[in-house]
Amino acid sequence: MKEKKKDDGEMAEELEKNSYRFWIWSIASMIFRFCIILFPENINLSSRPELSTPLTSLCRLAEGYWLKQASMSPYSGSMYHGSPLLLSLLGPLTVHGIEGQWNHHLCSLVFVVSDILSAVLLRATGQQLEKAYRLNLRRLGLLKASRDRGILPCGDIAALVYLWNPFTILSCVGLSTSPIENLAVIVSLYGAVTRRVPLAAFGLIMATHLSLYPATLVIPLIFLLGYGLDAPPRKLFLQTRDREGEPGQDKLTRTTQLPFLWKTVLHFVFWVLVWSIYVLVLCSLSLKQYGGLEEMFKRTYGFILNIEDLSPNIGVFWYFFAEAFDFSRNYFLIVFQIYMFLSILLPLARRLKHRPCFIAFVYLAFSSILKSYPSVGDAALYLSLWALFVNELTDMKHSFFIFCGYIGFSLLSPVMHNLWIWRGTGNANFYYANAMGYACFQFMFVEESVSAMLNHDQALKKATAEMTKN
Amino acid sequence: MAADNRYEEEEVRTDDGSPITKPRPIVRLGIFLVAHSPVFSVVFSAAGVLALLLLPLLAKNTYISENALMPGSARSMLSNRDASDGSKLVKDIKNFRLNHEGQVQRLIGKYMSEMVAEVYYQKFQPEGNQFHPLHFFSGPASYTLLRNVSCASYGVNVVGIIRAPRGDGKESIVLVTPYDFINGGDYEDLSLGVVSSLFSLLSRVTWLSKDIIWLVADSRYGDYRPVAAWLAEYHTPSFKVSDQLKCDELNTADNFRRAGTVAAALVLKVDGRSERFEDILSIYADASNGQMPNLDLINVVNYLAVHRQGFHVKVEKVVSLLSSSWLKIVGEIFEAVGKVAHTLNPDWKFGIPAAEYIEGSATLASSLYSQAFGIPTGPHGAFRDYQVDAITLKISPGFPPDSKARQHDFFLRGSQLLEGTIRSVNNLLEKFHQSFFLYLLTSPSKFISVGVYMIAFALLVASLPMVAASLYVDGCKALTKSTHNSAENFKSWKWLDAAKQVFALHLLGFIVTLLPYFICQVPGQHSPRNRSIMWGTTSSLLLVTFVTIPGCSPFSSRLHGTNWAILKSVTISAAFIGLCLMSIINFATAEIGALLLVPTCLLAQPIKPALRSRRVKSLLGAFCSMVLVTIGFPVIFFAITKGLVGEGLVGLSLGGEFWTWLESLWAWKSATYLYIGMVHLPCWLLCVCILFHPS
Repeated sequence: MKEKKKDDGEMAEELEKNSYRFWIWSIASMIFRFCIILFPENINLSSRPELSTPLTSLCRLAEGYWLKQASMSPYSGSMYHGSPLLLSLLGPLTVHGIEGQWNHHLCSLVFVVSDILSAVLLRATGQQLEKAYRLNLRRLGLLKASRDRGILPCGDIAALVYLWNPFTILSCVGLSTSPIENLAVIVSLYGAVTRRVPLAAFGLIMATHLSLYPATLVIPLIFLLGYGLDAPPRKLFLQTRDREGEPGQDKLTRTTQLPFLWKTVLHFVFWVLVWSIYVLVLCSLSLKQYGGLEEMFKRTYGFILNIEDLSPNIGVFWYFFAEAFDFSRNYFLIVFQIYMFLSILLPLARRLKHRPCFIAFVYLAFSSILKSYPSVGDAALYLSLWALFVNELTDMKHSFFIFCGYIGFSLLSPVMHNLWIWRGTGNANFYYANAMGYACFQFMFVEESVSAMLNHDQALKKATAEMTKN
Repeated sequence: MAADNRYEEEEVRTDDGSPITKPRPIVRLGIFLVAHSPVFSVVFSAAGVLALLLLPLLAKNTYISENALMPGSARSMLSNRDASDGSKLVKDIKNFRLNHEGQVQRLIGKYMSEMVAEVYYQKFQPEGNQFHPLHFFSGPASYTLLRNVSCASYGVNVVGIIRAPRGDGKESIVLVTPYDFINGGDYEDLSLGVVSSLFSLLSRVTWLSKDIIWLVADSRYGDYRPVAAWLAEYHTPSFKVSDQLKCDELNTADNFRRAGTVAAALVLKVDGRSERFEDILSIYADASNGQMPNLDLINVVNYLAVHRQGFHVKVEKVVSLLSSSWLKIVGEIFEAVGKVAHTLNPDWKFGIPAAEYIEGSATLASSLYSQAFGIPTGPHGAFRDYQVDAITLKISPGFPPDSKARQHDFFLRGSQLLEGTIRSVNNLLEKFHQSFFLYLLTSPSKFISVGVYMIAFALLVASLPMVAASLYVDGCKALTKSTHNSAENFKSWKWLDAAKQVFALHLLGFIVTLLPYFICQVPGQHSPRNRSIMWGTTSSLLLVTFVTIPGCSPFSSRLHGTNWAILKSVTISAAFIGLCLMSIINFATAEIGALLLVPTCLLAQPIKPALRSRRVKSLLGAFCSMVLVTIGFPVIFFAITKGLVGEGLVGLSLGGEFWTWLESLWAWKSATYLYIGMVHLPCWLLCVCILFHPS
């Protein structure tokens, strides 16, 4: 007993120290961002195709705002394709400037704040997940005492990965709206993990409204609310319960045998409806004179699903649809969009049902590979979500190779772009080849993560089986 | 190819531990390569060096790829009258100078307007060599600085435009003659004579479909700057009223004229007399960072100069290589091999005479050197920033400047050459795209395309991923053995500590690369030597602080239990990524860098165990890696190359020279500077760390 107390004291001390270090690093990342923001004149990051897509570019948002101020539809001229709410929120900030040049510092401030918020929420999410991981291991009897030093504080790691990821930093200072989109996604996950149902619904609706693809998160969110946090497969707990018929254990295991909580899920669906009606009403109010909701759907979701803008980006579709014949265009569009649903969403949802947060990571990673206008901001999001599972994914294969590939291809991208656009000695194939290589490595990364997760479950199963034998 | 290798090796790398049922053949090949990586790395590196030596043999003859060019198919329309127009201009300029009647620009402008050209004058400010680190990453347009303009020093370009009778004003061809208006020599006058003869013809012809712009660049402040200033104004007009306009009586306001997209540009220079009796035409084509104009442009000029006008055409070569004995031996060996092969099968014709081989190698070396240096070899480099193909033609006439008869003939031939070239370019419907952009020249009529020279590089770096993979596997095994409990937890993440160290040193390299910017800001006049001392001391101070910070110091790795094999593996991976990136930006730099970095990285091993073991083999290995690391340090390599050229440098003067050299690199935004600072220096430091690793 005494020993345990001492251990707890030590742990608390360590936790305090960890959180102290976390705050130092996050403040440092903030300062680093401000440093870059203050000297941006020569880098001109906002024009990079890797950072700002037609959907996330702040320059386009400023243009849409001007159009709206001039009593025209913000969507006229195919410049702006984002949300009308974002326009009302960020638009005024883009106007305040000196001598006609719009000032980006205010917007950058908003992005930095949203990054910090995302990191804090990620940390909270990670702490919950870590707690659940610890608890599950203890229930399975794999974690003997409270001597679990090997378990990493995944919340801190994920938050710091998010804050210090070059992708996040670049998309934050490169004036793209992806920090806000990422924040919405993280809010929904945080809400679901901490069982704040209205918050989860709000995050989901906002994320869907801003960039459509997070709509797929509805599956992991329902699992998360229905089944609870990430845990090893339920079969294992049954085994453990069979083994130990102790009354105390029984209580615990009974709680792990949670049924699907229909009530919470219905609650969630209700809130989803409330928020979506709310958002739609707001949008229709703001676009009353300019064609209303129909125009908005056509210009935002239609623009995303139809892949109308074929300017180069780091995705795999622009080149394909630039080359495809017009008569086969619709066919390919349908095939590609359905591919995502049929071959990725449903099988994974079945296989990884017991790990809803991990499903969210996998979905986000896939959508960042296969979405029509990807940017590095999306990669930043799923990489930090990945870091939530460092404990489970310690045995991930090919990690060094994938890491090298990420670095190599992300450095190669601007070089290829320069070769094509500025030097004129390369052509579109060079840049597209790079995009394909990048997508390839992303696929490998997701594939390895999923297989490592399945292996982890397998290993747990083996370990519990051994325990039962003993 | 290298990437494929990588993939294979990675497949293998992870296969330790888990039982393999039946790997695919490609995986088995990968396993085989990694298992025998020492042998294969030696074989591949040697093959890379051999392929580099073989390049002159593999050079192909140039050919005109774009059919529309049709060089030499039209009869020249240039008459004696046009040539005598040129002679008249030269005579007038001489008289004008003698009598000090005012600005020569006025005279040239008068001549141009007599030929029905639109004339205007452009003022520009000579710009100092300023280092701004961020300019490396920005396009050409983004550095128009607003500065206080002094009237004391500025240059004036004279520009004349002939509108094409068949054109719509959307395309143009530019002729540039750099000319020093204050103290131009007799030979410089000749270049004006040649172009004015041509101009007089072009103002009359009916076939012209692209406007012709004649830019007489004021070369008082160098050849490059006036052309760059004119191009900047041409492509990115500034709408602010400059202070320069008030400075002089020459009215330059509001009359800058344009003539559409520039299809091609020719820079003509005439300088000193050639040693031979005949006229020599030298072609310069390298623009910044190893960019070359389309090969077709060089082909057209070369074809016309050789087959129509009888010039002796040459490209630059490294003269000291011509007399080198080892190259001669290599050439003779290749010649003998070629002969043997020819006797075996008469269809095999790859042997070339040793003399030709030496000539080709000397040209290739010069081509590689100037591309690797990344500094344009003439004013044509300014055009490349705007994607315009341009070359400099430097003619060394074979007669004294006062010989009137031969001067007339020279004007005739020179302007006929230009006329033919312009006529070919005039035929083009699109911009140059048919022929190669990435090539190395071994003579004016022979080239090596990118597909061939990349092989040499690929072979050289192919050993890096192989060795990295095998070291990684070894290191992981050793680590698992040494620490049972903690390492078991992170089977796959053991490289993180090493990656942290590698990242720390790359960060250091980045900071050291940017330091000169701050050193240039230090107030007061400092000699290059002092500046280099400042740079050296701050860099070493930084290094010391980095080493003392726990966590990122490579020397404290014993505490982390990091094994040097993994550190070396990560280092090699970083070097591989850096070299591959650089080979796309500037091939020549990457090739020379790989020649230095690959053996250094491969041979780097801790010397402590070698000294302890006292075996001849390991002592020899340690000695070799010491020598390579010493040579690999950029300053020492610079000194050695200087020494080979014949300028022995020691001590502090070396630092000054090195600083001046680097200054020229960053003034021209050469990517080589970034390579040295951000790839070579960190990898070199890491090799030193491995060498003195406390294992």
